[in-house]
Amino acid sequence: MAQAIAPVEPVQTWRRFLTQETIVTVIVGLIVAVAVILPLITLVVSSFLVLDDLGFDTEWGLENYILLYTDRVIPKAIFNTFIISSGTMILATFLGVSLAWINARTNCPWADYLEPYNLIPFFLSPFVGAIAWHNLASPRIGLLNVWYRDFFGAEGYLLNVDNLWGVIWVTGLFFTPLVYLFVIGSLRRMDPSLEDSARTTGAGLLRTTLTITLPLVTPAILSGAIIVFVTSAGEFGVPFKLAAPYGWETLTTQIFTKAVGDDANHYLGATMSMVLGVITVILIWVQRVYIAPRSYTTVTGKGFRPNVLDLGKWKWVAFGFNLSYIFVAVVLPIFCLFIVSLHPVWTAEIIPSDMSMNNYVKTLFWWREDSIRAATDGIINSFILAFSGASIAMVLALVVSYMIHRTKGFGSKVLDILCVIPIGFPGIVLAMGVLVTYIQTPIYATLWILLLGYITRFFPYGQRNIASIMLAISEELDQSSRMSGATWFTTLRRITIPLLKPGIFAGWVLLFVIFLRELSISIILYSTGTETISVGVYYLANFENEALTSALSMTQTVVLLICIYIFRRVAGKEALSA
Amino acid sequence: MIDAQSSMVEITHLEKRFGAEIAVEDFNLSVGKGEFVTLLGPSGCGKTTTLRSIAGLEKLDAGEIRIGQNIVVSADKNIFLDPELREIGMVFQSYAVWPHMTVFDNVAYGLRVRGTKASDLKKKTTYALELVGLDHLADRFATKLSGGQQQRVALARAICYEPNVILFDEPLSNLDAKLREQMRDEIVKLQKEVGITSIFVTHDQSEALVMSDRIVVMDKAVIQQIGDPKSIYSNPVNSFVANFIGVANLFQGKLIGVEGTECQIEINFGNALATKKLLSTGGDNLNLGQQVFLSVRPEDIKLSTKKSTGNVEANCIEGIVLDTVYLGNFLECRVKIGSHEMIVQIDHFEQLDKGQTVYVSFLPQHGLTLPN
Amino acid sequence: MNTEDKNYLVVDQLVKWFGSDRAVNGISFSIEKGSFLTLLGPSGCGKTTTLMSIAGLHAIDAGEIRVGDTIYTSREKKIFLPPEKRDIGMVFQSYAIWPHMTVKQNVAYPLEIRKLHADEIDERVNKVLELVGLSEMAEKLATQLSGGQQQRTALARAIVSNPRLLLFDEPLSNLDLKLREQMRVELKRIQNEVGITSIYVTHDQSEALVMSDEIIVMSKGRIEQRDPPLAVYSKPVNEYVSQFIGVANLLKGKVLSEAESGKGKVDISTSITGLSCDCLLSSEMKKGDEVVVSVRPENVSVSRDNTDSSGIEGKVNAAIFMGNCVDCRITSGSYEWKVLTHPRENLNEGDRVFLHLDPEHTLAVTP
Repeated sequence: MAQAIAPVEPVQTWRRFLTQETIVTVIVGLIVAVAVILPLITLVVSSFLVLDDLGFDTEWGLENYILLYTDRVIPKAIFNTFIISSGTMILATFLGVSLAWINARTNCPWADYLEPYNLIPFFLSPFVGAIAWHNLASPRIGLLNVWYRDFFGAEGYLLNVDNLWGVIWVTGLFFTPLVYLFVIGSLRRMDPSLEDSARTTGAGLLRTTLTITLPLVTPAILSGAIIVFVTSAGEFGVPFKLAAPYGWETLTTQIFTKAVGDDANHYLGATMSMVLGVITVILIWVQRVYIAPRSYTTVTGKGFRPNVLDLGKWKWVAFGFNLSYIFVAVVLPIFCLFIVSLHPVWTAEIIPSDMSMNNYVKTLFWWREDSIRAATDGIINSFILAFSGASIAMVLALVVSYMIHRTKGFGSKVLDILCVIPIGFPGIVLAMGVLVTYIQTPIYATLWILLLGYITRFFPYGQRNIASIMLAISEELDQSSRMSGATWFTTLRRITIPLLKPGIFAGWVLLFVIFLRELSISIILYSTGTETISVGVYYLANFENEALTSALSMTQTVVLLICIYIFRRVAGKEALSA
Repeated sequence: MIDAQSSMVEITHLEKRFGAEIAVEDFNLSVGKGEFVTLLGPSGCGKTTTLRSIAGLEKLDAGEIRIGQNIVVSADKNIFLDPELREIGMVFQSYAVWPHMTVFDNVAYGLRVRGTKASDLKKKTTYALELVGLDHLADRFATKLSGGQQQRVALARAICYEPNVILFDEPLSNLDAKLREQMRDEIVKLQKEVGITSIFVTHDQSEALVMSDRIVVMDKAVIQQIGDPKSIYSNPVNSFVANFIGVANLFQGKLIGVEGTECQIEINFGNALATKKLLSTGGDNLNLGQQVFLSVRPEDIKLSTKKSTGNVEANCIEGIVLDTVYLGNFLECRVKIGSHEMIVQIDHFEQLDKGQTVYVSFLPQHGLTLPN
Repeated sequence: MNTEDKNYLVVDQLVKWFGSDRAVNGISFSIEKGSFLTLLGPSGCGKTTTLMSIAGLHAIDAGEIRVGDTIYTSREKKIFLPPEKRDIGMVFQSYAIWPHMTVKQNVAYPLEIRKLHADEIDERVNKVLELVGLSEMAEKLATQLSGGQQQRTALARAIVSNPRLLLFDEPLSNLDLKLREQMRVELKRIQNEVGITSIYVTHDQSEALVMSDEIIVMSKGRIEQRDPPLAVYSKPVNEYVSQFIGVANLLKGKVLSEAESGKGKVDISTSITGLSCDCLLSSEMKKGDEVVVSVRPENVSVSRDNTDSSGIEGKVNAAIFMGNCVDCRITSGSYEWKVLTHPRENLNEGDRVFLHLDPEHTLAVTP
C-alpha cells in the first residue's frame, strides 16, 4: 500500500529564499509599501513648498503653515471642524451606546429585527443624507418646515439644518453605527459571570451597571468616539452641502476650494491636509496604544447568553427610541429623496399631478440625447471602479494578511503599520497626497488615479476582514496541508483561500459599497469624463436642480441597499463587527 | 444526620424548566452549617441550574429555597430575593475577576457595597488575601495574574464579607491538571479553616470524592444518590452511580438466589464458560429471577496465574490478558472473559503477557448487586 | 534487525534558538522503525520545538535530522527539505481539520496531492476510516463532529498516505478527561496496527506512561532520561525525573556505605532524625555523595503494629479518600510522607502507624 514519495534532491539554503511564498509576498509587500508611503512623503514635502505670486514657481518655506494662523478663513475653518467633530462625537456616542445597550441587554421587543436597520446608515452616503435633510429641513424649502407652516399657520421655520448644528445632526446620525458596532460587540462578548459575581457579592443592579458593566465597556465606547471624531473631521460632503454655502467653512471644504479650480494651490491644500492628518494620526495612535489594549472583553469557554434586563413597560419606550432612530436616519431621508426626485423642479410642495420619472430618465439612460453626462458617466465609472477596485484590493489584502499573520519577520511588522496608516486617514488628505504625487504622470486625469486612491485608502478595510478570520483559524490548518505533501501554493489554493472565502467575499462587498458612494477622494482626483456617482451628485447639486440631484442620489441609495442585502445574506451578522 | 435547626441551606421540591425541557426536578437538600456539599453529575444533569437557582441567577418553576433565616425564593409564596440580598458568595468557572480593578479592589468590593468602615475594610480584605496567599499582590491588576491566582482572588472576594454560604461553579475546570489538584487541596483547607458552608458543582468525580463532606449525585435532572464519599463509592444505589464514580466492572445477569447477605447471580459470558454463577451482596430488595447488574471495583479483584481455592473459589473466573497499561501508581490490566471485558487494578508490578490465561476472583462481599 | 531499522530516524546535535533563548540545546536521539517514542516535559522544555524541527515547520540552527538515507535538514550541509517533501503525517493539538471539507475529503487530501487514481483513493480512504471507526461519518462536514471524532479524522488523514513518520503534537490535550483516557488506548491501538514510526509530544506524564514504547524526558532543551515507561517511573536517574513523573517522597541524604550489586545504605537523618535506609544506588555513586532518596507513595507499606521494630513511626495527618485508593499524609519527624493505601486498610486521620520501605523500591538518585 506504500506509495512513497520519490526521493527529492535536497534544496540548497540560498535557494530557500526563492520559494513561491517569498517571491509573491515580497513583491506584493513592496507594492503596498510604495502605494502607501509615496503619497504621504510627497504630501509632507509639498506642504513646505510655497507658490509664488504668479503661481508658476515654488520655493521652500513655512509660509503655508503661517497662513494657517493668518489667513482670513482657515483659522475659522479649523475651529468649525473642531466644533463639528466634537458635536458629532457626542451625538453619535449617545445614540450608539443607547442603541447598543437596548439591543444587547434589554428585552426590547423585536430587537433582532431592528438590528440590521440600525446599521444601514453605515453603508449609505452621508453626502446624500445631507442633501435629503436639506430638502427636509432647510428654512425655506424644507418639507418639514413647509408642513409646519401649513398645519399650524405659523410663520418662519421649525428646523434649520443649514448650519453647523445641521452638519452635526446629519454626521451624528450617519456615524452612530460606528459607536454602535464597537459597543455592542463588547456588551455581547462580555462574560456574564463578571456581572453575576457583582450581584452575588451584594451589589444591586444599578451599582453593578455603574461599577462593573460601564467601566468594562468604556474602552469600546472611547474607541468608537475617537473613530467618530476623526471620521467626521475628514468628512467632506455634509459640510460642503449644509455649512460652506452658508458661511461656515471647514478644513475639508477649504482643502477642496484651495486644491480644485483654476487658481488651485496644491501646496496650501497639502499644508491644510497636514493639519487634518496630524490630528488623525495622534488620535488613532492614542486609540491603538492606550485604549484598544484595555479592551477587557474576555472570551469564555461556555457560550452563555448575555444577561438581559427586563425593562417592564419601559421596553416600549426603548423600542420607540430605536424605531425613531431608524425613522430619522433612514426612512425619512429616503422618503424625501424619492418625493423630490419625482418633481420636475422642487418647489417645496408635493404636486401629485407633476410627478414623473423624467429625472431618472435623464440621469440613467446614457444612450439618450438629453441625458446628463456627469451623471451617466458617473454611474458607469463608479461601477468600473468599484468592481475592479474591490477585486484588486482583496487580492492585495489577502497576500498582505498572509504576510502579517503567517510569516513572522521584520517585514510583517512594517506591513502591519502600513496597513493601519490609511485606515483612519481622511480620504481628502490621502487624495491630496495622491494628487501631488501623480499630477505630473500620465495617470493623472484618468480612472487609474482614482483607482489608486481608492485602493490605497480602503484596502486595509478588506485586509481587516480577512485578518479577523485568519486569526480565528489556526495556523495548524495550513501546516497540516504542508505535512500532507502539498506545496505552499497548493495549500493557498485548496485550504487557505477556501477557508477565508466568507471573509474575502464580505470584504469585497464592503469595498464595493464604499467605492460606490466614495466622495472625498473622487472630488479631488476626478476630471471631466472620470466623474463618479457621488461626483455626479455634486455636479447636479451645483449646476442643476434639487430634483435631478435627488434622483441620482436615490439611484445610488437603492444600489447600496441592494448591496447591503447581499452582504448580509452572504456574510451574516458576524462579519460586520470586524 | 443533618440537624434541621442548624441547616444553613434548605431546598425543597425545586423544579426548573427551560421551555419544555426539565432541567431539575423535585430536588430536595438540606445543607448543614459548615458543611461542604458537592453536586456531581455529567454535563446537562441540572447541577449548575440548581446552583444558579440558589444564587438567584435563575428563577424557579416550583419549590422553595431557604438560606439562613430567610426564604430567598418560593414559587408558592411568590417570593424572589435578588442575588445581592441573599448573603451568598460565588466563585465562577471563568474566575470573573474584574479586569479594571486591582486585586485589593476586587476583594474589597463586597465590603464596599455593604458600607463597611474603612479601617475594617482594610483589615478584612487583607485577612482574606492572606488566607489565599495573595497579600503581596494586592496592588496588581487582576489581568496580570495567572489562572490559579485569579481563581484565588475570586475565592477571597467570595469569602471576604463572610456570607452565609459560598457557591462554587466548577471553579477548577479551567486550570491544568497539576494546578487543579493544588487548588483543590487549598479550597478544602480554607473551607475547613473558615468553616463556611459550601456548595460545590463539578463533573469531576475525583474532585468530589476528595473535597466533600457529602456528595449529591445527579443525572437527568434528578438526584440519584446523596451520601458521604465513602458510602457513595462503596454502596452505589444503581449502575449509573457505580459507573460514574470511580471505575466499575458491570455485568448484567439474572438474580437466582438470595441467602442472608449473599446472593447468587447468573451471568452469561458468552464463551466456553457460558453461564457462571457468582456470589455478591446487596440483593435484599430485589426479586428472584430479575435482571440485575453485578458491580466490582478493579481494586477489589485479585488476578492470579493459578486457579484460586478457598473462600473465593466460587467467584473465580478464567480469562485472557488483553493488555496492561502502566498508570504510574499501578498497573491496569484488561482481561477478556468471553465477550466481556474486566478491568483489574494491580498494585505491584507483575509480568503479564498479552494472551496469557489468568484467573480473576473477588470476595462476595466486594461484589454488589444493583437493580437493572 | 539491522542497524538501519534500529536508527530509522536520527536527530543529531539539534540546536534551535528563539531570540536569545536556546529552546533546544544540542540533543541527539534515534528511533527504531515502527516504535512509539514520546517526548515528555513541561512547557518550554523544547519538546514541541524538536517536533517542529523534524516536521520542517521551522529551520534549525545547528545539527542534522535524517530518516533512512534522506537528510531532512542539516545546517552543516546547508540542506532544508520543505515540509511537504518530507513524507510525514502529523496530528495537531487543535485537530486542524479543514472545516470546509467533509471527513472523506479531509482524509483523501494527502492522496489527491500525491495524484493517486480516484479508485485507489476511495479504497484507501474507506479502509482508513474503518480503522479509526468513522466509516459512518464519512460524508459529514468536519464541523459537525465532536472533538474526539475530529481527532480521529486528523489521525486518519495523517496515516492514509502511509508516511515515513507520524508526529503527534499534544493531540489529546483539548479533549475532556474521560475522552482523553479513551483516546489514548485507541491511538496506541491504531499506531500498533499501521506500524508507522511515531513521535508523540506531551506534558502529561500519564499519557506518556500509557502509550509509549520509550519515553524521552526533557527539561530546558536537554534530554534528562530515555527509557521504557516502566523504567522511567521506577528507575528515574535524577530528582527532576523522579518528581516530574508521578509523585515521589524525596529525602535528602548522604551515601553511608556501598554494598554489592548496586545496593547501599543512605543516611537521611536531615529529614528524619537518626534514620538511614537501604536502597538501590547507581554505579557512579560513592560513599559520602550527596543524593536524594526517592520512594513512590504506593511503595510505602503501612502497618498498625511494629512487629519487627523496623518500621518508621508516624501519624496520619490526612487520609483523602480517592475511591480506588486512599491518599495519606503521614508525618514522622519533620517529614511528611505521601502514601497510597488500599481503601480496605481503612486509615483515618490521627491514627498512629508504622511505615516500611522496600529496599528494592527505594532509590537513590542524583539531586
